[in-house]
Amino acid sequence: MRAVGKSIWAPYAPDASAPWNLRRVVHLHRRAGFGASAEELERDLAEGYEPSLTRFLAGKRTFGVPESFVTTSQLVVDGAIAANDAARLAAWWLWRMLVSPDPLGERLALCWHNHFATSQLKVMDLLAMQRQNESFRRHGRSPFAKLLTSVVNDSALLVWLDAQSNRKEHPNENLGRELMELFTLGVGNYGESDVKEAARALTGLSVTAESRVHFAEKNHDDGEKTILGRTARFDADGLLAHLVAQPATATRLARRLCALFLREELASDALVASLADELRAHELDLGRAVELILRSRLFFSDANLGGVVLGPAQWIVGAVRGLGLVEPAPSTLALSEWCARLGQKLFYPPTVFGWDGGRAWITSGSLLGRARFAQELANGTLSSKAADPLAKLAGSGDLERQLARVFLGDERVSTAPATTREERTKTVARFLASPAAQLG
Amino acid sequence: MLTRRQLLARSPLVALAPTLSGFRPYFGRVKEGRVLVVLQLDGGNDGLNTVVPHKDELYCKFRPKLALASDKVLTIDDTLAFHPSLTGFARLLERGELAILQGAGYPNPNRSHDVSQLVWQTARLEREEHKGHGWLGRAFDAAPELPRGVPTFVLAGNEPAPQAVFARRAACATMNTLDEYAEADFGSLEGPRVDDSTEEFVRRTAREAESTVRRMQTLTRAKGSAKYPASELARRLQLVARLLKAGLETPVYYVIQGGYDTHNLQAEAHARLLFELGNALEAFLADLGASRLAERVLVLVSSEFGRRVEENASIGTDHGSGAPIFLAGPRVAPGLHGSVPRLDDLLDGDVRPTLDFRCVYAAVLERWLSLSSRAVLGGEFAPFDCLRS
Repeated sequence: MRAVGKSIWAPYAPDASAPWNLRRVVHLHRRAGFGASAEELERDLAEGYEPSLTRFLAGKRTFGVPESFVTTSQLVVDGAIAANDAARLAAWWLWRMLVSPDPLGERLALCWHNHFATSQLKVMDLLAMQRQNESFRRHGRSPFAKLLTSVVNDSALLVWLDAQSNRKEHPNENLGRELMELFTLGVGNYGESDVKEAARALTGLSVTAESRVHFAEKNHDDGEKTILGRTARFDADGLLAHLVAQPATATRLARRLCALFLREELASDALVASLADELRAHELDLGRAVELILRSRLFFSDANLGGVVLGPAQWIVGAVRGLGLVEPAPSTLALSEWCARLGQKLFYPPTVFGWDGGRAWITSGSLLGRARFAQELANGTLSSKAADPLAKLAGSGDLERQLARVFLGDERVSTAPATTREERTKTVARFLASPAAQLG
Repeated sequence: MLTRRQLLARSPLVALAPTLSGFRPYFGRVKEGRVLVVLQLDGGNDGLNTVVPHKDELYCKFRPKLALASDKVLTIDDTLAFHPSLTGFARLLERGELAILQGAGYPNPNRSHDVSQLVWQTARLEREEHKGHGWLGRAFDAAPELPRGVPTFVLAGNEPAPQAVFARRAACATMNTLDEYAEADFGSLEGPRVDDSTEEFVRRTAREAESTVRRMQTLTRAKGSAKYPASELARRLQLVARLLKAGLETPVYYVIQGGYDTHNLQAEAHARLLFELGNALEAFLADLGASRLAERVLVLVSSEFGRRVEENASIGTDHGSGAPIFLAGPRVAPGLHGSVPRLDDLLDGDVRPTLDFRCVYAAVLERWLSLSSRAVLGGEFAPFDCLRS
């Protein structure tokens, strides 16, 4: 008999009951990435599961990825920071989501942006915000301790949570509290005295005028602290290690990763607990856990297909990619502005909790907003050139059928083809605004 | 400026003032129905620097840098005063349109924003009950249905719908501007209506959006001539006023003013927030008054917690407990209510709440909206006496 924990995460192998069909190809790209174009989907369908998934996990996508991706990215981000323009920084990230060879890496970066929800509104330092963003990318698949250490020892988070005013003689609890409540243990797994003691352990961290982290020995409280039942002369590193080792941290991370890739009704406590066990057995290795989920039979099971609300960034980038509008892409500044209007202003999460996500993305107001975006995308308002952005779709037969293939992996829908530009625009806009197109 | 004693002395006159016909339920006569506007101060408002015990020595001791000076504050009575920026509130109080309900909170306060907001929004203290419906959602699920296309709740702004309005049946529309509701085309919205799946949730929300669009198109677009200050909060309240003036039958409007989480350099930020709050609310009630709508409207202003009595090293304040609730509108019993939380009897550095917020909810539900409160609040809470009878 197999152990329960193992069978939950048993690997997927295509068979008659769960074949590698268009539905599952679309599922992989929409759930774990940012959607894909018709060509990319057909290629993955033809090549089969193993090479497609391996390429996806490794971040080696090539469709629509410019050869100069790395240098262009650097140029654009340097320009945004030099101009001190937060809108351009957000546009840069959206551009990366659109054309990066590693959509999974960008999805994980977005997930950690939400986890450590730090806003430029208070940090007011684009260089620091971008450095933090790079940490999310670099350590998005690392053992969690690396990600946590990298983010906590950086100026964006310290400024965000007032760490520089946390001094020995007068501790500020903000960082200590959020560290426990939001970044590691989760509410209910610590007491008020733990917060106060953690604040003492974090005293002395400060940020220099050059936006670098500095440890001021004289402001540090070197005394003994009792945190979660252990008494020691904790400093910041000791505290982080202590928190990372708590079972509650693994559970919290497991819950976040399950929410990222699985339908909410599948993410039972037992399932989360089994992923938490896997995390704890491997130093909270995030990349390993992500691979475990994405390679599992559960991830590709019928019960996990569709039914998850796509967040604004995912939905917008997915629409652009799905319509094959990557070259030339619509203005990424306009796209990221729309992302903000639909509730997800990149680099400006609304509170320390980040975005609620899931059903909270969908309100009558946001649905009407999505419908207006769909219209502007389809009629060319968002592109610099006046040409019909849907012209390429015109000659290839039944438009609704094409849309249903690319966005839903559905091969059955068939209606009369839309012919005039006006009809095309209307058909595409209505499709993108439809309830089914909000899900993935 | 009126003192508390003067207000009390005037109260018999208040009782004689002409009123609408008692506490008529909003349903049945929807058009003339009662309206509740919930204004949430997001982040935890520093109650102590809002209604200020400026003569209390302990206040000055705990707040060496943030204490507000007696010569700057706006007198309420012998011992209490408004923050200097709350000129809007001071004028509302003078007109008898503001009630100050002191020390509101709940037993065993939680200092997490998330948890404490859930407590206020679900009116439940236990964590396991926080995933369910909100207090307003439960209350209106049990109320008779509104005309088709009329959302029970309107959130004026662009935030996700707050937990308070989560309901089995009652719908919440989010409106940031009226233009957003000009048109809608979502294609077919057919599908099984019974299940609680995400698919059906999205379809249901789209159907709500469509019917609200149709409803909005039939309403006259009331042009506002009223003067509002230039702030986001004022813009949102003006939107609510326009909807009311247009005759939308929605009984509950929800508005959020963010930014109250003042851990750091609090003085300036808090002053700006309160300035915006007081002036926006004053303009809103004046606008409604000019349209003869104010008598129908009650505004409930609250926050998830107050802040620590002692200021922190970054000239800010950390999360605390009890803080005042404000009720505004011509139908409130004006002045101070309840007792001031004591600064010489703290619990873990925080004031002990003197008023359970659920008693205020009970008053709003029972005496303003004529809705039963027992099931909503999960027990009997005596309605707090804060409205004119």
